[in-house]
Amino acid sequence: MAMLKTILGNLLRPSRTRAPADMPVVPPTYRGALTHDAGRCTACGTCAFVCAPKAIHFTQEPGVSVSWHFFIGQCSFCGLCEQNCPTRAIHLRADVPGSMNSASGDGLRLESVIRLQPCTRCGAAHVPLPAATMDALWAAGADEAERGYCPDCRRWAASARLRTAFIPDGAVAEGGRHDR
Amino acid sequence: MPYSFPLGPYHPALEEPFKVKVQCRGEVIESATVEVGFSYRGIELLAQKRNWVEVITLIERVCGICSNTHAMTFCMAAETIAGIELPKRAAHIRTIIAELERLHSHLLWAGVGAEDIGFHSLFMEVFTLRERVMDTLEAISGNRVNYGMNCIGGVLRDIPDPAAHLPALDALAKGLGEIVIPTFTQNPTALARTRGVGRLSREQAVEWAVVGPVARASGLDIDVRKDQPYLSYADLGFESVVRPEGDVQARVVVRALEMMESVRLIREALLSLPPGPLRATQGLPEIPAGEATIRTEAPRGEAFYYVASEGGASPARVKIRTPSFVNIPAIEPMVMGQTLADLSIIQASVDPCISCTDR
Ligand code: SF4
Ligand code: SF4
Repeated sequence: MAMLKTILGNLLRPSRTRAPADMPVVPPTYRGALTHDAGRCTACGTCAFVCAPKAIHFTQEPGVSVSWHFFIGQCSFCGLCEQNCPTRAIHLRADVPGSMNSASGDGLRLESVIRLQPCTRCGAAHVPLPAATMDALWAAGADEAERGYCPDCRRWAASARLRTAFIPDGAVAEGGRHDR
Repeated sequence: MPYSFPLGPYHPALEEPFKVKVQCRGEVIESATVEVGFSYRGIELLAQKRNWVEVITLIERVCGICSNTHAMTFCMAAETIAGIELPKRAAHIRTIIAELERLHSHLLWAGVGAEDIGFHSLFMEVFTLRERVMDTLEAISGNRVNYGMNCIGGVLRDIPDPAAHLPALDALAKGLGEIVIPTFTQNPTALARTRGVGRLSREQAVEWAVVGPVARASGLDIDVRKDQPYLSYADLGFESVVRPEGDVQARVVVRALEMMESVRLIREALLSLPPGPLRATQGLPEIPAGEATIRTEAPRGEAFYYVASEGGASPARVKIRTPSFVNIPAIEPMVMGQTLADLSIIQASVDPCISCTDR
């Protein structure tokens, strides 16, 4: 009798299995497909440093380019690369990661090529600063000509500015020509 | 005619490899030997070869179920060495995740336990409830397992809208109170398979040095959350659950009531989430030379970490003692004199976690 009651009760109740429509929403913190923006990357290596399974590595063609490589098969989707990238070049989007929606193995590897540029002052090949970072820095009023400088020349220009700020033009004594 | 019988390493009751070799006379088990070590991964050695950020990701993989506990305990050890004080909000968030993890671990165990005694409809009920916990964990952390919430000095993600998670807690409390607990404690099938089965007396519990729910089901009132409060447990107040019987039934009841306590703790932590920063430090951590030992209450009992630093990029030593490491051998006294058919529920009642035991 009890069993009959249960069966009848169950027949009258709606299904308790989840329908596709009432799937839980994908949270904004979901760590899915990884994207990398070569335009923002400075090849600083932080992402490779924090990546425990070594899913990220770099190769380089000296004087021409640096390549950022990612292999999804080694990625554990911890999100630390995204959290630690100083220029926000890496983003783990809410889509399903590539390896899971492709049987052929496409999307398993990402490669971004970061072209080196010659320094407009000394000619050394270097990774240019991301445009957004440059805009933020140069908004403060640095010399437009310095945009194309390599890090060494930027440092040189900055210290030159400091020097002229502290030591008025005429006061530079004879022999005061330190190059550093 | 006595015979010996190997159960495992490929296991009928559990997903992970471990082996129980039993000596039987007829239906009755005379003695048992437990063998572990089939999923050894050398995590402690690997931890010495990774930098302080990578080690957290690595340590989180010690266990697939209580992953947060391990990462959290490791971070607490590193914070102790570096003298970093955890912000209050981070402590609350860690507590919430730790208790959600305990809920999901205990529910997983209750489901597997129900299946071991052939009670499949109860298994379904339990796993429906567990899904609510998993959804909550996913909503907060972005992942169902390996939440990646911890960093040295705080947590990586916030709980922006704590009230949004309260309905799930209500549903859980209702499901536990109306279905899971009554079924395990009143249903004749469940009682017949659990009451008086697999006893571990208080003296044996002391002798075998068991921890966690197994110890508390044998009348030993030990719980790190109460004995040495960490994170926000002192602020939230904590009641441990103890039972004197020492059988499988007592272990079920201890875990079931602990879940109710966890629901209460999570609700209170969510409602009293203090404002403030998530992390005490920014950027990559620098850990000076030193050493620290930390104990936390993982879902299965006390997890113990010893971390040493020589001030370098990687830890000098990470020693992990997991709760199952002491609980698994206690299967030997539990199964003595029991029938062979009860072997699987008895070993499941310990909630053995093989991957963290083997590391
Ligand atoms: S992606 Fe970000 S962290 Fe990685 S090298 Fe580029 S700038 Fe650095
Ligand atoms: S998400 Fe984690 S594992 Fe994947 S590439 Fe980033 S740091 Fe490495």
